[in-house]
Parts: sequence; C-alpha cells; structure tokens
Amino acid sequence: MEFLAGLFPWITNGPLILVQVMSGLSVGMFLFLVSVGMSLIFGVTRIVNLAHGSFYMVGAYLMVTLIEGLPEHPLRFWGALLLAPLGVAVLGGLIEVALLRRIYGRDPLMQLIVTFGLILIIGTLVLIVWGPDNKSVPRPEALAGSVRILGQPFPSYYLLVLGLAPLVAVCLWLIFYRTRWGMLIRAATVDREMLGALGVDVSRLYTEVFMFASWLAGLGGALAAPTVAVALGMDGDVLITAFVVVVIGGLGSFAGSFISALLVGELQSFGILIIPAISIVLLFALMAVVLVVRPWGLLGRPEE
Amino acid sequence: MRLGPRTARSRRAWLSILLSLLLVIALGADPAAAQKPIRIGEINSYSGLATVFTFPYKEGIEMALKEINDSGGVLGRPLEFVFRDDKLRPDEAVKAARELVIQEKVDFLAGCITSAVGLAISAFAKENKVLYFATHCQTSRLTWDDGHKYVAHTTNNVTQYVRVMARRAAQLPYKKWAHISPDYEYGHNMWEEFSTYLKQVKPDVLYVQQNWPKLGETDHSSYITALLQSGADAFFSALWGAQEINFVKQARPFGLFDKLHFFAPAVGNPDELDPLGKEAPIGAITSGFAWYDEGLHKLHPKLPEWSKRYTEFSKGKEPKLGASWGYASAYIIAEAIKRAKSTDTDKVIAVLSEGFEMEFPWGKVIMRGCDQQAIPPQWVGTVKVNAQGRPIMTDVLEVHGKDVVKSCDEVMKLRAAATEKQKK
Repeated sequence: MEFLAGLFPWITNGPLILVQVMSGLSVGMFLFLVSVGMSLIFGVTRIVNLAHGSFYMVGAYLMVTLIEGLPEHPLRFWGALLLAPLGVAVLGGLIEVALLRRIYGRDPLMQLIVTFGLILIIGTLVLIVWGPDNKSVPRPEALAGSVRILGQPFPSYYLLVLGLAPLVAVCLWLIFYRTRWGMLIRAATVDREMLGALGVDVSRLYTEVFMFASWLAGLGGALAAPTVAVALGMDGDVLITAFVVVVIGGLGSFAGSFISALLVGELQSFGILIIPAISIVLLFALMAVVLVVRPWGLLGRPEE
Repeated sequence: MRLGPRTARSRRAWLSILLSLLLVIALGADPAAAQKPIRIGEINSYSGLATVFTFPYKEGIEMALKEINDSGGVLGRPLEFVFRDDKLRPDEAVKAARELVIQEKVDFLAGCITSAVGLAISAFAKENKVLYFATHCQTSRLTWDDGHKYVAHTTNNVTQYVRVMARRAAQLPYKKWAHISPDYEYGHNMWEEFSTYLKQVKPDVLYVQQNWPKLGETDHSSYITALLQSGADAFFSALWGAQEINFVKQARPFGLFDKLHFFAPAVGNPDELDPLGKEAPIGAITSGFAWYDEGLHKLHPKLPEWSKRYTEFSKGKEPKLGASWGYASAYIIAEAIKRAKSTDTDKVIAVLSEGFEMEFPWGKVIMRGCDQQAIPPQWVGTVKVNAQGRPIMTDVLEVHGKDVVKSCDEVMKLRAAATEKQKK
C-alpha cells in the first residue's frame, strides 16, 4: 500500500477518487447515448452508421441556435434540450428515407462509403449554416456552479448528466422489453425476413428505428453542448470513441453499450492518473483484448 | 450550295474568332488587367475545423489584394492569389503545390496553418526551387532548424510568441509551475520554449507537474484533477481553439482558475473568448490582437481606421489576429516583388536575404535577412469583462519580437546542428 501511495499520491485521497469516478461516469453517459443508437441501427439494419457522430454534432449546433433564438426564460435551456434532439430525429428520418433505404443488404463496403460520404456532406452543411466560428452553450443558471462532494468541488451540471442518462437507459429497457414496438425491434435483429413475412411493415420500422437512434445521438450532443466547445470536428472525435464503445460492448447489444460506455469512461478518467503517457493507447488496448477474447464483444452474439 | 461539315466548321471558326475578339475587348476595358497577373498559389485548410482561423485570414489577404490592385498592382501587374484546400494534410498540400506550380504556373507559393503542412511545402519548395512564403503556421523549424533560401516566414514563430508570455510570467511572483499542452509537435515546442526561456530569465522557478492530453481531446476532467493536486502556483496552457474552450468550460466549475493563475497565449483571441462569454477565465494572462484596446490606439493611431476598413470589407465582421496575418502576408509578398523589380525567384530571394522593414497599422514588421523570418510586434494582456459584459483582453503591453527573437548567430547554430543530425 505504501509502495502504491508513493507511486500514486492520490490513491489515499478518497474524496478525490470519488470525484474522479463520477467524472468518468458522466463521460460514459454521453458515450452511451451516442453508441447505443449506433448499436441499435446496426442491430436492426446491419449498417454501420459512420455519420452517427455527425448527428451528435448537429444536436449540439441546434442547441446553440435554439438557446440564441428562444426568448430569455428560466425554462429556455430545457425547451432547447427537448427540441434539439427532435430536430436531429427529423434529419435522421429524411436521410433514411432518401438515401439509406436504398442500400440495405448491399455490399457492406458500399454502405460504409455512403455513410462516410454523409460525414463530409453534413460537415460541410454545418460549416455553411453555422459558419466557421466556435460556438458555446452556457450552462443553465441553476447548474452553472459546482457542489461539494466530500469537500471536493464537482460541477453540478454533471449531476444532471449522471441522473438523466440512467433514466434514458431505464426507459430504453422498458421500450425494448415491455412494448410491442420494442418486441418488433428485437425480432428484426434476429430475423428480418421472417418479420416481413409475418406482415410487419419492415421498412417503416427501419425508418422509426433510425429516427429514434438519431434522436439519441442528438440528445447526447445537446446534453454535451454546455460542457464543450461546439465546433466543427466534434463529429469525428465522438465517432471514434463511440465506435470503440460499440465494438467492445458488442454490435447490436443494448446492455453491452451501456456497460462498455461506463468502462471506457472510467478508463479514460483513471488511465491518465495511472499512466499518463499511454492513456490514449489504453482505450484501444482494451478493445484489442476484448476482440481477441470475445470477437463479438462483451455482450454481443457470435455470427452464425 | 451544299450544307456540309465544312460550313459547320467555318461557322464554328467564325464564332471562336468573335468570342476571342469579345474577350480581348472585355479585358482591354481594364488597363491593369491587360497585363498578365502575378500569381501566388495559396495552400491552406479551407474546410473543417481550421476554418475558424483561415476564413478571417483569407479575408485579410483579399482586402490587401484589393488595396494593392486598386492602386496599380505590383510592377504594373495585378496580384492574384489562387487558393487551394489542404484538408489539414501534408500530402494533400504537396499535391496542391505541384498542381499549382505545373498547371496553374504560379510564380510563388504561400499558405499553411499546421506546422506539418508548412514543413511539407517547404521541403517541396527546396526540391523544386520554388519560393515559398509560409504564412499562418508557426513552427520555428521552418526558417531555423530546417531553414533554406526557398522559404520565408511572414508571421511570428512559436519562439517569439511564447517568449513574450514567458517574460510576463517572470515578472510575477510564481515559483512552482505546471502546464497542459496538446501532445503533438506544436504543444511540445510551446512547452519546451516556455519552460526553457522562463528558467533562463528566472532561474529559481520549479516545474512540478506536466499534462499532455492528446490533440482534440474533449474530456479534460482527469487533467483538471491532476492540476488541482499539483501544488503549482500557476500553469501554462498551449491548448488552442475548441480544445481550450472545452478545457476552460470544464475547469471553471472545479475552481481551477481560482487556485492556480492561468497563462494561456491563445485564450485571449475572440474565437475563444466570445463563445466562452460569461465562462471566460477572468484574470488569465494571455496574448492576442487587441485591435479594440485604447492603449494600443495611442501607440498605433492608424489601427482604428484599419479595423473600420476591415469591418466594411468583410461586411460587418470584427478583425482577428488571422485577418492581420493574411493582410500582412499579402503586403510582404508584394513588397518583396516590388523591391526585386521582377518575379524572378532568385531576384526575390536576393531581396529577402537582405531583409526589409514595413510599417503596418499595428506597428513595424521586420523581415530579417539571415533567416527570412518575420519579426512583428506582439501583445500580452489580461482577460477581463468589459462594460458590455463581453470578455476581452485588457492592460495590453506591447513587446516587439526583436527583443525576444533568437539572434542570427543562434539560428545558424541551430541550422548547423540540424544538418549534422541529418548526416547521421
């Protein structure tokens, strides 16, 4: 123990470790919102949606516009938080109907090229609509400061994230396992053709799933907006980490995304305290280990 | 008469003669344009996240071009920039450079925002004996370690930029220092220069803790915790742009800026302060282009008028550091050609290697002969909120680059050491 304390002076500092754990959790929550949508789209449509980070970015930019556009009111932030993800869901729906619907079941390489092209198109559109300047969303008044947790300051906005994301997770579980729509989605991930043969309007289901997943990414972006700079390039940053989360958790697995998002969040949070020089590598090392031991991810199903 | 291919061909011939005539008339209407333009191939990142810097920079160039061409051009010829997007990639930049030289037949090359791109174009220029004016990127290696006669640098370099900050740091009573810098060449250069120079000016400083987040990292909470635990009095940040905004937004609720004095050269630029708004790090020591500062207006009476002209030219935008850099770069290139009385590469290089000085609305820029490196004035100040509630840089102090830059002798030693290293 003394040896450890010599190496890592923070190890005996309980409150500090707690704050670090909570920061890691809140980072994990943002990742969960983005990656669960990505995983959902893959599970149902078998498309790896590389443009998912772009939906996250659009969610954050819509948040900027809504905060600027809505009248000054204590509830303004919450109104924007409600509307921005809906805007992204509409965008996702349009893209699915106009573009992705035409490439289901095609060569996966072609699907990758199409969704990669979407990254470039959405990135350029964001530049045209919002301009090159960095933007930012102020935190809502009530959550602008910090609270003391065992004497350590902790940003109160992160508490919101820590509360909201598990709420979303519980709602998702309820939707997937307690509603007919959720049952259809689960059925689609197992056997799409059979589902169609049984008279379910599969193409409508796909659009709905895609919109729902876009909504989740938009919510992630809108929630993250007050903690980061809203800027071009935020799509790529989140995409890579979210993709790693999805792969670790298992493509198409909802619970897998949740666990792996928390794991990655904590890994990033503590990696830097333990071995600062290789904290970047840790993430990919974890992915490599998981892929060697369980190529289908922590909670994914092996391909038959 | 038989309507055949011959008639069609002769009709086409007539049409093309008519068109060329029209073209000659149209061009002839503008006497300056009758002369063949002097063409500069400009390579920079005009898509993606760098546009926050490159768009104002481009507007600065275009404003200078309009002024230059309205007053008769250079050597009686109009000056023209051909812009290319490097997508932040050195290989794209070199491809564009080759295309510009071979197909567009440009007289000179210019541009760069990332050091990697600047060094790649510089290597291309050396190999192909084309003169390259590096503009927006800042690595000191361009004209120092890796310098050669085919590259000139029209803005300040990292060394000048950081030493001005280190000088200010030395005046304050802080002994224990930490830092947070992005983990790539620029970040390492910045910290290396800052820590070395501060130690040189003030030998009793101690460096107690280092943080190297990767470039573009969005979550900084663990670095913030580490800084809070470091026991330092002050810390330096080489972060910039969106990443520094992320960092400041995340660090403020942890009370980091109340505990440690924040030294961040980039944070005072409007592309960071404006989005931060109320969350700006008040009291931080920073550098930047405070075109609005009254003290600076007293030093440079022409500055307010220039700012107004820029705003008119850009249809309502405020000037930024990048705009002043684009503006100055275009004028420096024009001046070098004027002095050479030719667009001949060797003659222009001869002028550059002699060096010259130019007056700009923000002060004197020296183009030094020995390394073809620009030495401009720079400013440090403190972040405060003005009467309108907008965060700005105040208490502005001017330090001219000539007081901090490495001497020609030092530069030649750096070059010799670099050549030695290459031989090995």
